[in-house]
Amino acid sequence: MENIKIWMAWWSPEKGWDPLVYAYLKLVSPDLRVPCLHVIIVNGKKFCKYGPCSKLTGIVESKMCCIIILLHSLKQLESGGAVIQIKTTITLYKRAVSLMSDSRRRVSRGSQEESASHANGMGGRSRPDRAADTGDEDDGAGPSGIHEEDDDPARRREIRSQYRDLINSVQQNREDMLNPANNKLIDVLEEANKLFANVRQAREAALDAQLLVLATDLGREKASQLHAEGSSFDPSAFAEHLLSFMGLNRLEEEEDDQDGCLYGYLPPDAWQRLSKRAEYCFRTAPSFHYMLGSFLAEPPPPRQRVERQRKAPSKEAKRMMPTQLKKMEESHQEATEKEVERILGCLQSYYSDDPQSPISYYEFVVDPASFSRTVENIFHTSFLIRDGLARIYLDDSKLPCIAPVEEGEVEPGGAAARHQCVISVSPASWREIIEAFEIKEALIPTPKTLTQEN
Amino acid sequence: MSQRKRVAAVGSQTKHFRRSQQVVLDEDDGDMSLTQPTSSQVQKARENFTPVQVDRKVAEVVQFILIKDQKKIPIRRADIAKHVIKEYKALYQDIMKRADRTFEQVFGLKLVEIDSKNHIYILVNKLQPVPGEPISMCPGNPKTGLLFVILSIIFMKGGTVKENVVWNTLKKLRVDVGEKHEDFGDVKKVIIDEFVRQKYLEYVRIPHTDPLEFEFRWGQRAEKEVSKMKVLEFIGELHNQEPQSWTQQYREATSVETSQR
Repeated sequence: MENIKIWMAWWSPEKGWDPLVYAYLKLVSPDLRVPCLHVIIVNGKKFCKYGPCSKLTGIVESKMCCIIILLHSLKQLESGGAVIQIKTTITLYKRAVSLMSDSRRRVSRGSQEESASHANGMGGRSRPDRAADTGDEDDGAGPSGIHEEDDDPARRREIRSQYRDLINSVQQNREDMLNPANNKLIDVLEEANKLFANVRQAREAALDAQLLVLATDLGREKASQLHAEGSSFDPSAFAEHLLSFMGLNRLEEEEDDQDGCLYGYLPPDAWQRLSKRAEYCFRTAPSFHYMLGSFLAEPPPPRQRVERQRKAPSKEAKRMMPTQLKKMEESHQEATEKEVERILGCLQSYYSDDPQSPISYYEFVVDPASFSRTVENIFHTSFLIRDGLARIYLDDSKLPCIAPVEEGEVEPGGAAARHQCVISVSPASWREIIEAFEIKEALIPTPKTLTQEN
Repeated sequence: MSQRKRVAAVGSQTKHFRRSQQVVLDEDDGDMSLTQPTSSQVQKARENFTPVQVDRKVAEVVQFILIKDQKKIPIRRADIAKHVIKEYKALYQDIMKRADRTFEQVFGLKLVEIDSKNHIYILVNKLQPVPGEPISMCPGNPKTGLLFVILSIIFMKGGTVKENVVWNTLKKLRVDVGEKHEDFGDVKKVIIDEFVRQKYLEYVRIPHTDPLEFEFRWGQRAEKEVSKMKVLEFIGELHNQEPQSWTQQYREATSVETSQR
């Protein structure tokens, strides 16, 4: 048996499905698409598949039609055993009729008021409008024609909160409500009826419907518990009997028994004992076993081999990479350091040759034979400047000159006087410099000869 | 004559080769579509294999099924065909029929197809247990007791039962689903995984519930293997009540019993 669902929807030949009611149904079940019609009552005539709803048809007579769709529940009605089910259904039905008469009124009034549309008088109604369709504040449909009393937000909020409380209590006491020994479900429905007397708008009505779905579901479950014939079966009694069978010693501390957290009082072979007896109910084929135990069917998985293959090269690669890198780094750094030292040596020797005449930076750095050598020289010289081993200053004609820093001078000259600049050199400017300074040969000899010597 | 035979043998070999390729292709679909071979194909296959070869295949199938049955997980026809029958595919029906006969006559078992759509088999004991006689020399598997409890609840509750009912009852029997049990280990896993895979139980979601709720039903293996009448008799014994006092269940058990005979 599937879950029971009860849908009520209104349909009239002129308007089709009442959109608000339809929306209201959607609230109850978002997955509603095309309702499945099992029982249809239209204008007092029934078109239904099952018999028992004939008891209900007499009540309906209107131009509107009320369609009640009961899925699966009517089977319960037919069996006659499900009293609660019937009560639930009747309550639902009454609710449906009351809602319907409201919408009927609305329709008849609607035809008169259509011309007056939104500007209708409020005092004209003898009775508060009970329809759940006059537009919800949240829908922004506008409070057209709503009685003041109907639209009192505080009152509506209160109704909603009462509904929610009721729904919560039903959900929380589910097991309790299912107990065949009480009538709590009916109490809940009666309470819901009381609440519904004050419902004026769709939002509250939707909550009411939600509660009803819940109640109906409980009703179905409760009905399924009622066995019209034969003894009922109570799992907890069954469990007690099983425990006795399994050899539970009840004499030892019976109070703990209810907690169910006992351990030692049930003999360790309890389940074995039950199994031995239960086996007579089974026609299980005895399973086949080798006398000396079965060998492990799976050969050592080939995964291992794959792993080894994968691991070996990766290890080598790992070993190779760092050594290579280290070498490169070392050699590179060494070369740079050597170059820097060599250039410093050059600079110092030129300086000591003639400490009075300034050494032009460009003349020092530029190699007329090679642009790349020039760039390298500039690069290496910059280390001398950074480390404070050489300094650059401008001479009288604002041209940069370079001089080594004497050892004693290093300290005081340090951080305070440091400036940074970026020198850019292009092959074109390089050629210009060569021409302007009339550089014939490089002051810094090419290191190639040096490395070759090494 | 002998030459002609050889030629025929070679021809059939290539044919088998082609067929086994077909098998490989089919496996990719997950299940083998064993199309019914035509009678001429069967005839040809019968000629191609000597009776000794076919006997061997039958024995292999029997052994395969016996070993597969150790874990009580139903055996798929596709697996039998893939691992054992192989190129004897045209003789599948013959071989299975003979294997079934071996099970019945030699082992006292019965090969039952529990799912005729997906072709899944189980082995069932053909021999009725004799009351008072031990069923096997091995100590009882405690899981049978657990399974019995669950199947009983489902049966007595009319065929389906919400999982909570099962968990609550087990709790009363000192089996807490959330905790490791001395005999069963991870009880929940045993119930909703092992028993379900063995097809003793069905564990299905109840539609339209929020939060999700599941219910238990008897699985196909249970229907074939477990006698509802015997379950009811045992329950009656436990309650000290006549099995007939549960009218509905008694009616169902009798109808199953008579339909199986």
